[in-house]
Amino acid sequence: MTKTDQPDPVPVESGSGRVLVLLDGSRLSLAALEAAADIAALRGHEILGVFVEEVNLLRSSGFDFAREIGASSGASRPLDSAMLEMRMRALAEQARRSLQRAVASRGLRQALKLCRGSVVQEVLSLVGPEDLVVMGRAGWSAAPGSRLGSSARGLIRQAPGDVLLWAELQHRPGYGVVVLLNDDQGANHRALAVGIEQARRRRQPLTVLVRSQGEGGQEVVRAIEEQLRARGAGARVKLIPRASAAEVARMLRREGPAELVVSRQCSVFDEQGADQLLVDLNLPVTVTP
Amino acid sequence: MTVPAPLNIDQVYHRCPPDKLDFETTETLEDLELPCGQERVLRALEFGASMQAKGFNLFVLGPSGAGKHELVERFLGKHAGEKEVPPDWCHVYNFKNADRPKALRFPAGQGRDFRKDMNDFTDELRTAIPATFESEEYQSRIQELQEEMAKRQHQGLFDIQEEANRNNIAMITTPAGFTFAPMRDGEVIDPEEYKKFSDEEKQLVESKVEELQKKLQQTIQQIPRLRKEVRERVHALNEEMVQITLGGPMGELREKWSHLPEVVAHLDAVREDVVEHAEAFQDGESGPPAGLLVRYKVNLLVDNAETKGAPVIYEDLPNHQHLTGQIEHRARQGTLYTDFTLIKGGAMHRASGGYLILDARRILTQPMAWESLKRILFSGEIRIESLERLYGLVSTTSLQPEPIPVSVKVVILGDRMLYYLLSHYDPDFLDLFKVEADFEDDLERDDGCYALYARMIASMARALKTRPLTRDGVARLIEHASRLASDQRKLTAHDRVLRDLLSEADHWAGQGGVELITDDHIQQAIDEREYRASRVRERSMEQITRGIVKIATSGEEVGQVNGLSVLRLGASMFGQPTRITATARPGKGQVVDIEREAKLGGPIHSKAVMILSRFLASRYAGEGELSLSASLAFEQSYGGVEGDSASVAETCVLLSAIAGVPLKQTFAVTGSMNQHGEVQAVGGVNEKIEGFFNVCRDSGGLGSQGVLLPESNVEHLMLRKEVRDAMGEGSFTIYPISDINEAIELLTGMEAGIADENGDYPEGSFNRKVQDRLTAFAEVGKKRDEDKDNGNGEGGKNDED
Repeated sequence: MTKTDQPDPVPVESGSGRVLVLLDGSRLSLAALEAAADIAALRGHEILGVFVEEVNLLRSSGFDFAREIGASSGASRPLDSAMLEMRMRALAEQARRSLQRAVASRGLRQALKLCRGSVVQEVLSLVGPEDLVVMGRAGWSAAPGSRLGSSARGLIRQAPGDVLLWAELQHRPGYGVVVLLNDDQGANHRALAVGIEQARRRRQPLTVLVRSQGEGGQEVVRAIEEQLRARGAGARVKLIPRASAAEVARMLRREGPAELVVSRQCSVFDEQGADQLLVDLNLPVTVTP
Repeated sequence: MTVPAPLNIDQVYHRCPPDKLDFETTETLEDLELPCGQERVLRALEFGASMQAKGFNLFVLGPSGAGKHELVERFLGKHAGEKEVPPDWCHVYNFKNADRPKALRFPAGQGRDFRKDMNDFTDELRTAIPATFESEEYQSRIQELQEEMAKRQHQGLFDIQEEANRNNIAMITTPAGFTFAPMRDGEVIDPEEYKKFSDEEKQLVESKVEELQKKLQQTIQQIPRLRKEVRERVHALNEEMVQITLGGPMGELREKWSHLPEVVAHLDAVREDVVEHAEAFQDGESGPPAGLLVRYKVNLLVDNAETKGAPVIYEDLPNHQHLTGQIEHRARQGTLYTDFTLIKGGAMHRASGGYLILDARRILTQPMAWESLKRILFSGEIRIESLERLYGLVSTTSLQPEPIPVSVKVVILGDRMLYYLLSHYDPDFLDLFKVEADFEDDLERDDGCYALYARMIASMARALKTRPLTRDGVARLIEHASRLASDQRKLTAHDRVLRDLLSEADHWAGQGGVELITDDHIQQAIDEREYRASRVRERSMEQITRGIVKIATSGEEVGQVNGLSVLRLGASMFGQPTRITATARPGKGQVVDIEREAKLGGPIHSKAVMILSRFLASRYAGEGELSLSASLAFEQSYGGVEGDSASVAETCVLLSAIAGVPLKQTFAVTGSMNQHGEVQAVGGVNEKIEGFFNVCRDSGGLGSQGVLLPESNVEHLMLRKEVRDAMGEGSFTIYPISDINEAIELLTGMEAGIADENGDYPEGSFNRKVQDRLTAFAEVGKKRDEDKDNGNGEGGKNDED
């Protein structure tokens, strides 16, 4: 069940290279919008806002017994569908205004897509391999503890293109962009390309950390350096041991980057607690396919 | 009565006997450590400096320039050298009550060590603690802690979600929180479809939802408690890390200062404070806030590391702040800020355990300084309070440092007047300053004194770094010291005058290009000083020589005599003659003192005139009535007359007016007189004689002039060479007189005459003439009274005309 906001000036073209930004009216999604607008401006891509009315939520408000438990206070109050509909409309309106504001100064093309259904499904139906999905790391439920939202978790594992999970600004922002790779993965070039682009966007240095086991490390490093040279970029390339996700998080913290790029194929993702790694770092992370 | 013999030149000048000075130059003389002739002061100082009991502080009294300060400092310096060095005092932060900095006592010199130790410790804190926080160990422990706590926090929500999922209930996030709804195959059941459920199923779902809601509520409400627990555990970890880091350096410090329990207690307080503020040290880049580290600093208030013996402190600006110390403020962004490091010690702190020398006049002119000094001496401790606070002008909170006990011997230097005024008006004064050290103004000039005085001059010359003096130079200086003392049997103890003279003589010796100061240089210095101060004297002299001020130095006149007066201007004084005139006619026993009537005469002068009036009555009127209306005036005197030194001159001039006998104007007269006609000593005789001598010399030349002065003043004479030379040539004479009759005979050339048993004076004598004239006056008066009684008196023609 999809509904396109009328009039829709941007035809949905898979593979044309767009920036999709998920808007749900939460604080974090607004921050993500700003980042998405920056990237779109840099790439010269159009920006597509996506506001999904979660069907499960709409349904759950239809029960007589439905109550909403406050995320911070724990207070319980009735949840009724009329009021929820109203809130969703207000949020959609806010998302539209935010989007317009964000692109106005950058001279971008924009569109807002309002959908009703499951977030992951709706986004997957819209996104192509060349598209970048930008979203908040967590939605409304970020309040009780910063964790990875279910939509974010679903998309980083399934999206055909890159997914940038935006995080709240830290007290002490880091410096530089780090690309985390495995020495045995095939899709290094994509993660590296994104890393180079983000480093250029931020005008900050790039560091490539290669998780290595055994002898092959040096070869991979040489290959990476070659790739970097080919793209006319400079970076510090460092071999690190293949340790647990928590250990990787500690190493990354020591590097103190402002942004992380990691390939979905990187073996750290297979480990239990990879989500936690992303949570702990509390910095924008781009996951490449 | 015979006329007294004139004085010879040896009587008017006490020479320094050359055989008493057994040296060539002062270079060979030893220094005199303590001044000669000041035994009273030295004994008082000795007693006061060693007396331990409370209140035995000293007041050294003497005229300014007497060398009090130098003597006291020299004496105390010597005395203090044998005493032990007092302790150091530091102010440190009071961790229990920040407004009351604590005071710590250290053996002399150790305060400095402690300050250095604490500075080093603070530097170490700055680096060691951030390093601890950046260490792998700390980072992993804090990570573990945070991970554990986050897990616990999320686990609650996750468990509820799991439980919900197991029961086919979805936990859905809403814009503001969470809600629960029944689901099937991962999707929430459509409410319409739900309505078709059996009541039993519905009840099952709803009771489960309710149960889950309650659990969720409880879990969310526990989150703040969990966060607090995290904070507490992080704090405990921080404390533990800091405790371990501090262990080494703090242990060394505790060991080093274990002999001072109060210092150890302070070190423990510092450690507790650092541990408590562990988080503040965490920021390795900007470091811990300066406000925190300053608390571990040491304010060394009294540093006796380099003090030898007990301190002797002279505070030249003894105001309240300089005495008791002060709390300074620093301006920071428009506000004034202070802490214990800005406490500054005062002179009392520095002098504790030793001596504090203060100038009485200075301390009394500084607001509250005298009161503060007394308060400290009474209480035995220094409490630093600002002047504004003492006056109640400010009420903002400030520091109240712990009072520091003080044991100080205060030595106040002042002139005698201040001592007597303070004794009279300040009830606390004699309680606190029980030792009076009174400076002698003059020293005895006897045979034994010459050698000592010469050594004193030698020490002075060395101290002033002047050229050495020859024997003649010293002799001349000794003679001048007698002149300064105005006494042949005294030498001045006035340090400043001698020093100045010596420096000036050295200057003239330098100008003359010689290596020794001789009597000529001393004389030149005396003359130059006199010349510099001579402007007024010369103007005054000029008025006399030009005849504007009338003074006769030759001839004879009835009812006119030369009196002598002294003028003091600044440091110099000079004498000059004054014409005194008298008139006499019949009347009712009155002698009108015109000076008094015109309110130009002082009380002593009035007293002298009254004495002379009673002398006249008792000597010449016998048992009869004194019928006299006489007047006395100082001619061309416009500035007031005081003193009784003119009473001999006044008596003579009055008697001359009564008797109609002229007085020789070649003489000037000085001396006071009692009711029996005996002549008594007066002051300033040298200046008076020299003043008249100058007038005689400049207006008509010397010949037979001279001065009559009381015989008891002869030993005060130290006349200058020019006068002595004139006396030697016989052109100037000085007569010592002891009775009014001697003055009469010298001034009139007539015999004065002694009364017989009937009170009558011999025929042809001066006194007879006076007696006869007064008898004649009495008869005139009697006749007038009779005419008045008969009613045909000539109204208006009476004494009161």
